[in-house]
This record gives sequence, C-alpha cells and structure tokens, in this order.
Amino acid sequence: MTTPDLAAPDLVAPDLAAPDLAAPDPESNEHETFDEIEYLRIHQDVAQAIARGEVASGYAHYVAFGVIEGRALPSPTHEPRNRLLVSHPTPASVPPHETRFAIDSLIVAPAGGLMIVGWINDAHDPIQCIRIAGAGWRVTIDRARFVRVRRHDVEQALDRNGQHPFGFFGFLHFDRMVDGAGPCLVEIWLAGGSSVLLPVTPQVVGDIELRDIALTHLGTASFAGNAAVERVACLDAGFGDELVRFNRAITRRIVATPYVERFGPTGKAPGARSPRGTIVVCLYGRAEYLFLQNCLFAGLPGIEDYEFIYVSNSPEIGETLLREARSSSLVYGLPQTVMILPGNAGFSGANNAAAAIARSGRILAVNPDVFPRDPGWARKHLDVLDNAPAERTRLFGVPLYYDDGSLMHGGMFIDVDIGLSMASGIPRARRLLRVEHYGKGAPADATRFTRSRPVPAISGAFISIDRAWFERLGGFSEDYLFGHYEDADLSLKSIAAGTVPWLHDIRMWHLEGKGSTRLPPHEGGSAVNRWLFSRRWSAMVEAGLKGPSPTYPAPEAFSPGPTTRARIRSTPAR
Amino acid sequence: MKVLLVGVHHPELVRGGAQQICYELFKGLQARPEIEPVLLAAVDPTFRALYKSGARITGFDGREGEFLYLGRDYDYTWHKVSNPQLLEAYSEFLEIVRPDVVHFHHFMLLGLDLLTLTRRVLPRAKILFTFHEFMSICAADGQMVRTFDRSLCTRASPVRCHQCFPDRGPEEFFVREMWFKRHLSVVDAFTTPSRFMIERYSAWGLDAAKIHHVTNGQPDYSRGAPPAEKRAKRNRFGFFGQLVDNKGVWLLLQAVRQLRAEGFSDFTVEINGDNLRFASDVRRAEIESFLADEAALPFADRRVVFNGSYDVDQLARRMARIDWCIVPSVWWEIFGLVISEAWMFGRPVIAANVGGPAERITAGQDGLLFEVADAGALARTIRRAATEKGLWDRLAKGIQPPANQEVMVDAFLALYGMDFKGSPLIGVQE
Repeated sequence: MTTPDLAAPDLVAPDLAAPDLAAPDPESNEHETFDEIEYLRIHQDVAQAIARGEVASGYAHYVAFGVIEGRALPSPTHEPRNRLLVSHPTPASVPPHETRFAIDSLIVAPAGGLMIVGWINDAHDPIQCIRIAGAGWRVTIDRARFVRVRRHDVEQALDRNGQHPFGFFGFLHFDRMVDGAGPCLVEIWLAGGSSVLLPVTPQVVGDIELRDIALTHLGTASFAGNAAVERVACLDAGFGDELVRFNRAITRRIVATPYVERFGPTGKAPGARSPRGTIVVCLYGRAEYLFLQNCLFAGLPGIEDYEFIYVSNSPEIGETLLREARSSSLVYGLPQTVMILPGNAGFSGANNAAAAIARSGRILAVNPDVFPRDPGWARKHLDVLDNAPAERTRLFGVPLYYDDGSLMHGGMFIDVDIGLSMASGIPRARRLLRVEHYGKGAPADATRFTRSRPVPAISGAFISIDRAWFERLGGFSEDYLFGHYEDADLSLKSIAAGTVPWLHDIRMWHLEGKGSTRLPPHEGGSAVNRWLFSRRWSAMVEAGLKGPSPTYPAPEAFSPGPTTRARIRSTPAR
Repeated sequence: MKVLLVGVHHPELVRGGAQQICYELFKGLQARPEIEPVLLAAVDPTFRALYKSGARITGFDGREGEFLYLGRDYDYTWHKVSNPQLLEAYSEFLEIVRPDVVHFHHFMLLGLDLLTLTRRVLPRAKILFTFHEFMSICAADGQMVRTFDRSLCTRASPVRCHQCFPDRGPEEFFVREMWFKRHLSVVDAFTTPSRFMIERYSAWGLDAAKIHHVTNGQPDYSRGAPPAEKRAKRNRFGFFGQLVDNKGVWLLLQAVRQLRAEGFSDFTVEINGDNLRFASDVRRAEIESFLADEAALPFADRRVVFNGSYDVDQLARRMARIDWCIVPSVWWEIFGLVISEAWMFGRPVIAANVGGPAERITAGQDGLLFEVADAGALARTIRRAATEKGLWDRLAKGIQPPANQEVMVDAFLALYGMDFKGSPLIGVQE
C-alpha cells in the first residue's frame, strides 16, 4: 500500500439536484447502460446541442467533452453492478475536489479478474460504488463488495484515530478476457452524489498472482475489533463468493494439463497384482517427503497391495520429484506415479485429479508428513476393508500421533465459536464453525480416542475412502482455497448422504504442518475457507452435530455399536 | 570370497581415519589369497580432474581392484544421492562385481540409500557397516558436541537436536532418526573400533547384539626406526593430527600460555598437521595469532614449533623429536590412530579422558589422562610429565604394541564368515 498522499484529488458535490434514481433496464443493450436520459436531464445544454445536430447523443458528448469538462454523471450510476460491460474508451479527467482519497493499486488479470486497493475519507459521505473502465470494458463494483479495513497510515496522516475504516479493497471475477493494457479510468461515487474520475495505470498480473494478492490483502488486513471475526464477516457481501469462483476457475485450468509419469512396477508384469489401495499424496513446496515416505513405507508387510500417486502443487519442484521418483523406485521398488500440476490447484483439486487416475477402488489421501507408526498398518488397513461392515469402511480415518509420542488426535468434531462483529457499527454475534480434535495431546494409548468408532469428521492427513463413494460425493470440494476444511467438508457431505465416517485404530505419525510451506496468501485462504465451511454446514451442525457428542442425524449414529467384525491384527508400535 | 569395501574418500586424496582404516583393510585383504577385495571410494567434485565425462564409477590410478565413486549432487541433510544415474551405476557395479560381502566404512558422499539398494540388488550378500564416528546419531557432523556451548553430548533426541539447530524443528530430527534406522536396518553387522561406541549406538536403538568391537589396526610404521634416545629430561611434547577445533590444538596452546604465565618454560611443543582452514574462524585466529607471536620471540624463548603436514613415512623423524604425544581432543575421540602411532615408537600419550583414548590408555601405566577441555589440567599434566623423574621411563615401559593390520583383518574375516540369517530384507518384495 502506498503512503497516503494528502495532495490527492478531492471530491466535490456537483451543483445539481439529486438525480432520479429510476433506472432503465440496464441489460437491454449496452448503449443503454449509459444513463442517457438522466445525463440529458442534468445537462440541458447537451440536449439542446443534440437538437441542433451538433452531437449524436449524450454518451457521445460525455465521451468527447463531458469528461474533460468535469460534467457529473447521474448519481449513483444505474449501471448493473459487479459485472463486466463492454464500453468505449473514455478520456481521463480530474476535476477539482475536496474529499481526500487515493487509489493505491489497480490490479488486472486479463484472464478474468481485477482488484482495486485504496483509501478514502468517506466517514460522512460513504462510498457508493466504483466504476472502472478499461480499453473496451468497464465494471461498476458495488460498495457491498468492498472490504473496508483500518489503515493506520491514513489515520496517522489525517490525524484521525477513530474507528472508521478508511482503507478498502475490492475484487471481482469475470469470465471473459479483458485488455488490461493501458490506463484505466476509475470513477468513485459517494452516496451524496459526488463523484470523481481518476486515470490509473493498472498492474497486469496472472490470475494466480491476482488471487494470491487478494488473499494476502485479506489475510494481512487490519480491522477494528476481532480481526479473525471481521476477516470472515467481510466476505459475506460478495468478496468471498468472488474469490471462490475465481479460485475454482484457476483450479480447473490447472488440473486440466498435468504431466504424469509412472515409475516402478506397472502392474502389467506377469503375475503382478492390481493394487487394492491408492495412496494419494499431495505435495507442496517440499520434495523430500517423496523419498522419505518411500523409504518408511517400503518393506512393510502388505505394502505390495498399494500404489502411490504423488501429485505436486509446486511446478518448481517437478523435475526434482521426477528424479527422486526414479531413484526411489530403484531403491525401494514401490509402484508410484508422479503427477505435476502447472500451478497450485489446492489440496482438493490435486487430490481429485490424482484420484481420477488411481488404479484401485480405494483412495487413501495421505499427507506427505504422515508415516507409519504401526509397521503392520498396510495389512491392518486391508483387514479392516475385508472384515468390517461396508458402512464402517466407506470413509474412515486413523489415530495420528505427534513426534513426541502423544496422540495428535483420534477423529474430529465440529464446534461453534461465537464472535462479535462490529463491521456494521452495531455489535452482531457471528457464529463460526471450528474443527476440533478428539484427544489432542493425550497419552498414546488413550483408548477412548483411538478405538474404532464413528466420528463426525476425519482428518485429511489420512483418509481412506471407497472410490465409488468418493466419486458420488463429488470428491473433495474445490471451493476451498489451498487446503483447510476440505476433509471436514467431505466428512459432512458423507453424513448428509447417509454414511457417518469412522475411525479405525491403525496408527500413523503426523508431523502436522511440516509437510508444506505456509505463505502469506494462506492466511487469507484460511479465512475464506472458514467462512465457506460455516456458511455451508452451520445449519446441519446446529441441528445436532455440534460438539464432541453429536446426535445428528440420530442419537445412535455415533455409537460404536456391537464389536466390529474386523479382525484387526495387533502390531506393536515403534 | 569376494569383498567389496565401500568408503568415503581415498587416503591418497584426502587424509582421515575412516579412509585410512578402510584402505588398510583393503591392503590386508589383498594379502589373503582366499579373498578377492574390491575398493569403492567416494570422492566429491573437488577432484574435478578425476571425473571422466559421463562416468559415475571409474578405476583409480591404474591400481588393481580400486575404484572411485564419482559423487555429485549430494544431499548433506539427508545423506542421500540425488542423482539417479549414480544409483543405476552403483547397481550395475554390484551386478558385475557380485560381492559376497559388502562392507561399508561410511555413507557420506555415497548416500545412506546405497545400503538399501545393496540389499535389493544383492539380497543374499552380507552387509557390514563400520562406524567411525556418530554421524548416524548426530547431525552436528557426528561429533556429539553441542553446537551452542561445545559441551559433550551423550544422547540425541528430537528436542535436544533441535536445541543444537534451532532453525530445524524437532520433527525433522524425529524423521531423520527413522530414516537412518530404516536404512541401517538392512545391515547384518556393525563394527566399532571402540567399545564405548557400542553403548552409544545401542542406547540410540540399534541391537547391541549386532554391534561388534573390531579394533583399528595399522602396519607398524616404526620398523627399522631406532628406539628413543636416552635423555636426562623428557620435556618434548608433540601434537599429531588435524588442526580442526575438535582435535584441541587450541587447548594445547592455551595450556602453553598458562605454563609460561606460571613461569615454567622448560619444555617444547611441536605441532604436526594441517587443515587449519577447516577450523572455526575463532579458533583459527587464535592459533594463527599464537604462532605469529611465537615466531616473533627471540629464538631461545620459542617453545612451540609448527612443522606442518606429514605422511606416515615421515613419522619416524617427527616422533624422534618428541618424548610425549599429546591428544587434547575436545570431542568423543573415537579411537585415536595417533595413539597407536605414538605407541609404535614407544612414546607415552597424554590424552583427554574421554572416548577412545580413555578406553585405550591406562593412566599411570602407559600414559596420562587429563580432564577433557580443561587447559589448566593439561598444563599441570605437561608440567608433571616434564619434571617427574622416572615417569617417562615407567610409562614407556608399560606400552603394549598396538593392534596391527593382521589383527584387524582377522577380526573382520571372522565377521564375514558369520551366518546372519534373519536380517530383514527391506525393500525386497516377499
């Protein structure tokens, strides 16, 4: 963000009565998106000029002269909001004004999105909308789509230390290419009817960069009140949906063009068995987990019934992964496939893409920093599949352990946080779902947390799911950004579809958070994910799925019931 | 029996105990008609001239049975090969040589994964591994010296190792241990040159029954050298070895300063060795400053002489100039080849009371021990050695000849002949 420039152009209210807000149908055609009637009503000399045949229309006058003359537009603009419109280029003009503001940056991803960041002293005359016009396009972003944030630098420069959020940023996703080159015109409208037109040269970036910039702004923004709550609350009015849609388009594009190479035994050799399980590992940033997992999974009893798919969200480590896979197949002999994606498709996109090329009917989504604690885990996992009732194996997780030997958790449940949002100026309770873990930090053999039983949700660090069920649920939701909540989301989708997840006592180490690198955009992504997860599942959670002892869909749903038929072998831990 | 010895460095190229012993074993095995030894010594790209284009393994200087493993892209964090072509070349080498025994003397520059790969390529071969330090246990160059205060470490753990490397979380060391142990699990038998190492490795989690003590053995370099001349005073001390921090030459110089400060100067110290460039900045500066000051003194006042590097064939002349050999190591000195060399020439040893020296030297019988890393204790010991009448003669008389190459070769051959059934076959599909 730039330091506020107090010499920035100011706004002044036009010497006009408030215009009639009755608007023509803005979508009838593009020409009508310019409020011709209102423009001519305000500027009767223009109407007279048209009558004399000196100009063709109000719009033509506005383009040729009005902008330069600083003529006001109908206020507020009646154009459709939050949608890209085709228009003609408009020359820039900066009329004299009073209200202080600045546009820090206008960032355009020609593939389909833009972001605008700035600040404005609109404490007494709130911003109404901002229209941005580029070469052959324009868009008007409604005030509700702007995230308002505190700007300490502005407060200091204006000598204001109140709670007014001077800062703003807005983000919009659109599904067509735009020309991001050249200066754009940014027109800010205030509720009182004043407006200003400002030429801004946009920064042109790729769509992934734009997403990350938007998320970084969101993740690092300063709010009055509880930042964690406000960061989520500010997503309600559209910013969140825009980001989700934009990210989904990115994900689809990324997973459409993977590079795939298989290593080790292919399964086509005479006598070779088809795998019974496909271990899908999503890598991000760190390649060493490929050979570490190869080493620590290899040679364990039953591992010959599995194949591995390493799917990388980090194209920069792609060559390293291919090299390591080649080396590992020589040293350890495990059948494995490496899928290199051309960008970060997130946990869901990557896992879904990898699952699609699995050669077995069982998907095990395993984090790169998960390692067997139980040397007999592979065979035990197959024993569960062979002997437990189908509804207990359709989707299940396992107890995970910290490196210090204590239990990381034995399943997850959902709880509700109630925060206070001050964004509207009035304290409002904000209910946010939180994923909690059974038995975090408990002694290793705390059987109440490690025994086989139904649980509301299981961790994405280790998920075993029937492939047909996975596909019926639509896989992991790709609405979530990067990685967070997809596992709980999948679990709740399964419950909604009639199958409660289970936990079976097959113990694994999990060096949580050590398998990937956390970057600034991930903080913003976490906020979006929590907002989305809460919006999507609050009703079901509040209906009885809340807390460690849920009763939804029925009180007996989370009872382990009669002893499982699974004959699970007992293998001593390390 | 065909025996493949795999080690780091070739002693012709880089001096060091591990490669020296590996090579002594190789030469010893060559002398046994029933054994066909092959040596594979890893080098690093420092020796660019030896890297033939496109080659990963080559012969060495026309020597029979000696090969170089041309290491590259080595991952020093995980101690692994990052180059699949090297692994493929090694596999092919194993298939051609088809040894009955593969005896590793190190994994550095080679990669731990060569152990597992050896087991995959040669499921029936016996695999031995000789530990020359604690590199499997300790990420601080296997020295087990704590990085923040240079104190001796007795036990590795994820949190303790993290304390030595604050930028690396405990989890990394947790995985490191699993990684090392998984590769070491393919080894049929381990050997250590000192007994205290067995304790250390079994405490770390290796099966003590699989760890055998095999002393280092060298040829007797003193053959033909005259015995120590008779002298009224036994006040000439010598240091032999690398000038790196852990070998403690800086401690010896501090002791010299202290003796001078106390007014005692009836002694000389001769320093033989090199690799000062590998010392820490602080210690290097300390040593260089001392030597510069010493050189500036009038000749009659000089007590410390720096003789530089030496080869084993120069040992007789260097040993002839001293009465006592000082081993002031401030780490867990594993064996102390220099002790053997001093004993070959009948020189009693004054050493820090830890590790291999403490195990090998019987204080008051064949040498003297002082408190490790204590310059004052070393100064007192030097003064006693230089002034106590009859002490040198008594201790020199108590010296037993060190184990020679034959003893070591016999011990390893006995291990090569053992039946190691029941070892796990990691990476081999059942």
